[in-house]
Amino acid sequence: MLVYLIRRILVMIPTLLLVSVICFAVIQLQPGSFADRYLEDPRFTAETVERLNAQLGLDKTPVEQYLIWLRGIVTRLDFGFSFFANRPVSGIIGERLVWTVVIAGITLGFAWLVAVPLGIFVALRKNGFTDAVASFVGYIGLAVPDFLVALLLIALVLAYGGTNVGGLFSAQYLGAPWSWGKFLDFLNHLWIPVLAIGTGGIAQIMRQMRANLLDVLGADYVRTAKAKGLHPRRVTYRHAVRTAINPLVSMAGLQLPELINGTIIASIVLNLPTIGPLLYTSLLNKDQYVAMTLLLFASLLLMVGNLLADLALAWVDPRIRYG
Amino acid sequence: MSRRILALLLVAALALSAVGLAQTKTVDYPGLGMVAGNPGGTLTLALGDTPPRFFYYGEISAISQALTMQMFDTLIDLDLETYELVPGLARDWSVSDDGTVITLHLREGVAWHDGTPFTADDVVFTFEQIVMNPEARAGDAASFIFTVDGEQRRVEFAAPDANTVVITLPAPSAAFLLFLRSFYIMPKHKLLPFSVEGGAQPADINDAWPTDVDPSEVVGTGAFRLSEYVSGQVVRLVKNWNYWRADEAGTPLPYLDGLTYLIVPGTDAQVAQFLAGNLDQLNISGGQFPDFKSRELAGAGFSVVAARALFGSPPHLAFNFDASDPELAEVFSDHEFRQAMEYAVDRMRVIDDVYNGLAEIPGTPTAPVNGAFYEDTTDLMRMYDLEAAAAALDALGLVDTNGNGVRNVSATRELEFTLTYGNDSATWTDIATIIQNDFAEIGVEVNLQGIQSSQLLGTGLSGDYEAILVALGNLPDPELRKPIWQPGGSLYYWHRSTQPAEQGERPNFDAMEDWELRIYEIFETGTTNMDAESRAENYREWQRLNAEYVPVIMIAKPGNVAAVYDHVGNYVYNLGVIPGYNPVPHYFRK
Repeated sequence: MLVYLIRRILVMIPTLLLVSVICFAVIQLQPGSFADRYLEDPRFTAETVERLNAQLGLDKTPVEQYLIWLRGIVTRLDFGFSFFANRPVSGIIGERLVWTVVIAGITLGFAWLVAVPLGIFVALRKNGFTDAVASFVGYIGLAVPDFLVALLLIALVLAYGGTNVGGLFSAQYLGAPWSWGKFLDFLNHLWIPVLAIGTGGIAQIMRQMRANLLDVLGADYVRTAKAKGLHPRRVTYRHAVRTAINPLVSMAGLQLPELINGTIIASIVLNLPTIGPLLYTSLLNKDQYVAMTLLLFASLLLMVGNLLADLALAWVDPRIRYG
Repeated sequence: MSRRILALLLVAALALSAVGLAQTKTVDYPGLGMVAGNPGGTLTLALGDTPPRFFYYGEISAISQALTMQMFDTLIDLDLETYELVPGLARDWSVSDDGTVITLHLREGVAWHDGTPFTADDVVFTFEQIVMNPEARAGDAASFIFTVDGEQRRVEFAAPDANTVVITLPAPSAAFLLFLRSFYIMPKHKLLPFSVEGGAQPADINDAWPTDVDPSEVVGTGAFRLSEYVSGQVVRLVKNWNYWRADEAGTPLPYLDGLTYLIVPGTDAQVAQFLAGNLDQLNISGGQFPDFKSRELAGAGFSVVAARALFGSPPHLAFNFDASDPELAEVFSDHEFRQAMEYAVDRMRVIDDVYNGLAEIPGTPTAPVNGAFYEDTTDLMRMYDLEAAAAALDALGLVDTNGNGVRNVSATRELEFTLTYGNDSATWTDIATIIQNDFAEIGVEVNLQGIQSSQLLGTGLSGDYEAILVALGNLPDPELRKPIWQPGGSLYYWHRSTQPAEQGERPNFDAMEDWELRIYEIFETGTTNMDAESRAENYREWQRLNAEYVPVIMIAKPGNVAAVYDHVGNYVYNLGVIPGYNPVPHYFRK
């Protein structure tokens, strides 16, 4: 097991290197430069462009820039600095990481808590009325992009005179110490992103759970268990559901990078202080080290998520062993 | 109460009022409908992005500028009503007869937010150590170096005493006082460690006041001071109780106890926050006007305010004189072709349909509201007339020779080109489409190429385009936009072959046409001509030349449009799109 773990981690290194090279190349291929948006400012002369490029290391060749950046990461875990904010990238990402994890965690948790029981419920009533309704709603949930749900929810709140139309807090609670009032205000804002981002996930997980469970319910051992006179509820929940949930565990691993990439537009619409909008603006602004670090982070999350899922699978499913 | 105590109190009161008299400045704008407000309350405004840092000269950013305007002061201000220069931190000033020595007398008794007195040393430090530091990313070192008789000489700043600043220019500069209006004075006692004078490297100045700085470190002399920054979410400013401005009744400004800036990127999110009442004011575009106006009429509790704009950027259509296709370049360089195409640009439709009427016929290119320099060239402009456009193209021999409905430049070359525009804004997209359709009517085929708006000028300067839509900002004095409008200037992008081969050398006069040589001359003399009258007349000639020879086709001058809730008093919005250009210290909560 330990050998397997070490081998998996070692494989990540060349993969990350390859990812970083590709990302860097793509960012370099983007037209324009970091200085472009300043050109019209009366203060911005050709001399300033030169100085700025020298300060930012942009006067070096792209290969040199990449190697310097890489050396910083390897030797002192320095992910470069943001051109825009003139601060280390790690600090800028760190400020937003907490809220990103909190929102993503709650959203994922919500989606799973709703979707898994719902999937079981409709699987046990296959082709019935509830199944049809849930499937219909599920398809809509899958088809409608999360940012559109977010916009609709905002319009709905506005129509009913609400003020919780974006962000996580009302202005008066921003930066204030935690209190009961602040917590309620937080909950009042939180349900919109949770619902908007979570709906797509619910439909997906529910469909998956339903299909898995139906597969398992048709399996030989379930029939055997039933034939042996076991209580149907016991057969379903003790044996069938436990097996059916396994593929979902690997799906969960794949959802980790979604924390950054999957919800960018919804996060912008909802004005969430998360990493998604940061990636978007850094790509637009050619703030290359912020964008690179975030893209690298997303691929790392994908790989770690996969690894965790595989390990979890081995843990829940006695048929899987790594050695 | 004993007599002695009474006398003491009286003396104290007199002393206090003397200090008050020495330092305060009263400004009211009854002409703009301003009234005496009542102190107290806060307002919430929107910031479109996170501030890169709190140090204005560390990064060119509209966001940090919006905050800096509230927290810092300039030596000289612009009158909101007449657009004339009025005292700021400088109480008054004098210019020597030859125009090279400017003496500024500073307002006495002004203090930084931390209580340290403001002196002439701060002014000298700001210019010599920050603005003129070539490594300061948002400094302006190049503008303080004059080339006199081929020799480069620096502007000198000196502080003979605590309240006097003497500026010595290598040569007279007509717009220098106006130019000073754009520089915010920084505290020497806080920023010395980041400066060369304080022992740091030149580039270290950019490290001052990052966003994670302790707010009490960021001290200015302005109406508000920094109180709190929650990363990516909110910036809070609180009232500077010792601010040097007062209203006419003597009530100290600002009226407000604080300003809250919610960080809301994205127009849709800002609109939602405004409609929900979380923002008290929002700058909007002419395109958003109908929606807001109908809500206003339905009693939403806010009003939509529109004003003609001095600042702000009127869009224009430019043809690349040096297009890579030699046949197209020859056509585009011909002013008769550009005049013909001007007939096909439907300005009124752009104003009515794209801006919902909240724009005006532009100057060429001075803002019509700029009384000091604007020349009304409307009569010289070729207003929308497709028949005239077609006739003019016919006269130039640009006719359809192969019967495919598109005019021909030659037997093998159709009159077809790419129009580059910003596709991330509805305004640009609409204008580009209107032009494409009208040009098609007269047999000119336009292919649209959308790029990010922030890349437009960069693309123009790279020369990699055929025709392009760009907007360049208006400033109060043409001198301040010399690099754009003077042939051979660094931003004269539509005719790049006039630019010098090497930066800093003489422009390529051989590439200039006669009218361009004349414009070049107008800008050269405009820099040093200290006679306001003849200077303005020269710039008027330049605008007539532009209208006649159409280096670019000016399309429309958009107005400023904002929505503001009725509980905000003294809301004035006539200078420009950045809220700081508005008299925020005069705003109050009803």
